[in-house]
Amino acid sequence: MSSNATVTRLCASSVDHTQRAPVHLMPCEIQSNGSAQVSQFFTATTKDHKSEKTVSFRGRGLKGQELSCPQGYTGLVLKEVHKPSSDQEDRTVRVSSVFDKLTYWNLETPPNSDDTVVMAMDWPELAEGVRVLAFILLH
Amino acid sequence: MDLKPFEENNSVSCRLTSQIPDVCKTEDCCLGIDEAGRGPVLGPMVYGICFCPVSKKEDLKDLKVADSKTLTEAERENLFEKLDEAISYIGWALHILSPNTISTSMLQRTKYNLNALSHDTAISLVQYALDSGVQLKEVYVDTVGPAEKYEDKLSQRFPGIQVTVRPKADSLFPVVSAASICAKVARDRVVKGWNFPEDLGEVDVNYGSGYPNDPKTKAWLLKYLDPVFGYPQFVRFSWSTAQSLLDTKAVAVHWDDDEEDGEKAAQRQNNRSMLSYFTASAGSSDHNPSHQTHRFFSERRLKSLDTL
Amino acid sequence: MAAKKKRSPNVDNDSWVTIAADSVVDAQKNDSDPTFVRLRNPSTGAASLYVLGSGDLQLYEVKAFEEDFHSWFIGQTVQRDGRLVFITPMDPLFLIVPCLSKSAKEGTFQPLDQVVMDEEFSACSRLLKCKSALASLHHIAEEKEVETLKFYRFSQDKTIDWLKKKVERTVTVLKKREICVGEGVKSTTYVRVKPAADHQEEDYLRYAHGLISEYISQDLSTALLKHLGLPQLMSPKETEPPAKKRKISEQPVEAVEDYTKFNGADFSRKPLKKMTAAQKTLAKVDKTGMKSMSSFFSPKVKAEKK
Repeated sequence: MSSNATVTRLCASSVDHTQRAPVHLMPCEIQSNGSAQVSQFFTATTKDHKSEKTVSFRGRGLKGQELSCPQGYTGLVLKEVHKPSSDQEDRTVRVSSVFDKLTYWNLETPPNSDDTVVMAMDWPELAEGVRVLAFILLH
Repeated sequence: MDLKPFEENNSVSCRLTSQIPDVCKTEDCCLGIDEAGRGPVLGPMVYGICFCPVSKKEDLKDLKVADSKTLTEAERENLFEKLDEAISYIGWALHILSPNTISTSMLQRTKYNLNALSHDTAISLVQYALDSGVQLKEVYVDTVGPAEKYEDKLSQRFPGIQVTVRPKADSLFPVVSAASICAKVARDRVVKGWNFPEDLGEVDVNYGSGYPNDPKTKAWLLKYLDPVFGYPQFVRFSWSTAQSLLDTKAVAVHWDDDEEDGEKAAQRQNNRSMLSYFTASAGSSDHNPSHQTHRFFSERRLKSLDTL
Repeated sequence: MAAKKKRSPNVDNDSWVTIAADSVVDAQKNDSDPTFVRLRNPSTGAASLYVLGSGDLQLYEVKAFEEDFHSWFIGQTVQRDGRLVFITPMDPLFLIVPCLSKSAKEGTFQPLDQVVMDEEFSACSRLLKCKSALASLHHIAEEKEVETLKFYRFSQDKTIDWLKKKVERTVTVLKKREICVGEGVKSTTYVRVKPAADHQEEDYLRYAHGLISEYISQDLSTALLKHLGLPQLMSPKETEPPAKKRKISEQPVEAVEDYTKFNGADFSRKPLKKMTAAQKTLAKVDKTGMKSMSSFFSPKVKAEKK
């Protein structure tokens, strides 16, 4: 854990020249960080039936659906390019890709509104409710 | 045999059928069932049925059909042509179980083993023949498992039909030999012309017999192993050959049901929301042991972070 | 079949999937970059991660959706860490309240920059740059102007009023989003008896109160509940499940480890700074047999727990 005094700078200008990338939330832990042939193996074999998507990964059947970022929100993938050598140093993260929707996948179960990640998307709007100052609301 | 319906989407299973001869709808018929491609780690498993009037059994013998395994590929192709031409009294139907179906079924949360899958496929084909108006009286089945139990199962499922389940039925009953030829021809053609849905460019088709002990097959499996995705859907992930190669050469992947036995998996399906509710606050990283996150957050698996 | 590989800890994570309010990276307004900082969480007292927007004008909180067995595919890469991090705007007053209320014990009006600070979390004083916070301080404090200088004194009554409005606003959003606030399990297999309308209204209020309590101290939470006209629950079974009940304890929690650094756990913790003479005297008194004030408000379950 880094010291309470250190900060992590989010290099915001990096957003401008960032590519959009499709993002998939997988229902398994893949013990790897780095490149993967996602379009060749995954995207190429994904089937679309109305709003439900199907694919398989490592021989297991997945069902998925797209989920949009809440209004006023953008998906940002942050990447730490250079890890500081000590936990007393400030850190910097850059935006490595942006997205406005993600696809989440369930293992075998059809996606539905009770899925936790769908419910988690309630949070930004509720956070807005908790934040907004009372006097603005009293029309 | 038009394989197009399967080739358009070889991720899922597919049924291919001949026309139903009119005579099969009016006369008592016999039907044989056999499978092809049970053992290989590559490609589909094909179930075949062949049927004809009981009165035409001798005609079938005259075609000199025999156990497909004793025939060369050319002989099988040749015999299939003859069967297909005898449309006036012989009908057939095939069910192609795609390797992806085999993988996902066998690796399902609630495991669906190959025997159950085979039996269900056989039953669905017999039912297809009945639904098409074939006057079935006798059914002959080749089996690799215990014959008696399977025979009882089929007899109960199809009352009024005399069911005979025998090991090596494909060499004992010509109608089973005919079914085995249909299945084997389809399996060979599908494997030969496999259309990889993955974007792999030119794929080396020198994958040998597809049996796990074939060195060519093994070499192919090594060549096409992807550290993240494992294999193309052409490979049966549920085969121990494929599994053990992945366990040693690919990155580890962990699923929430890794440690579960079948009973637990069934429980999970019934009580999913109950379980998730009770485990909601587990794993919270709150520093304060007496602080319980509000259920709005715990139900959504949301928690505060203290470091990025 | 070869033995399954064991899960190893994910130690070299350097990438995070986030969903952030557009204002966080709104390039037009940026004169400096937003920064992730650690500040004292007003509810737990422990360190939590926040974001201060460009020019420190805006405060955001950072929460992660985290469920076991998830990973990401991002473009042509795989990311083992399957968390989804939300960066949402937050009212900076929530973080200023504990600073002000702490100093309120002295009862005097004080300049902000002497109060809005935390020795442990140096970024705390940057909250004073949040324009919206400065403009709305009157919600939580009395203001006095001496010449050009402004002085503030925490007002619990004002704060409770302000919090009540927050609760009401939260109820509106909860209803709009059709968020299930009823007690019990959200499950298709358990059909809940539909409560009377007023009962449902109380469910909403309690739920919203619980949410707002994530941003305030236990003492304020208790006072707010009273102000909302909601009785303390006699049995936790009636609404929130027992696990969700907060422990209300006046006795200092026995320290198992040295928590002096992160002693945010309990809001009955000793004031970080010097005690007043009266407090010192009180501290020396043998309190055995005395009833603590809060025990009058605390649920009976405490007694049953033995």
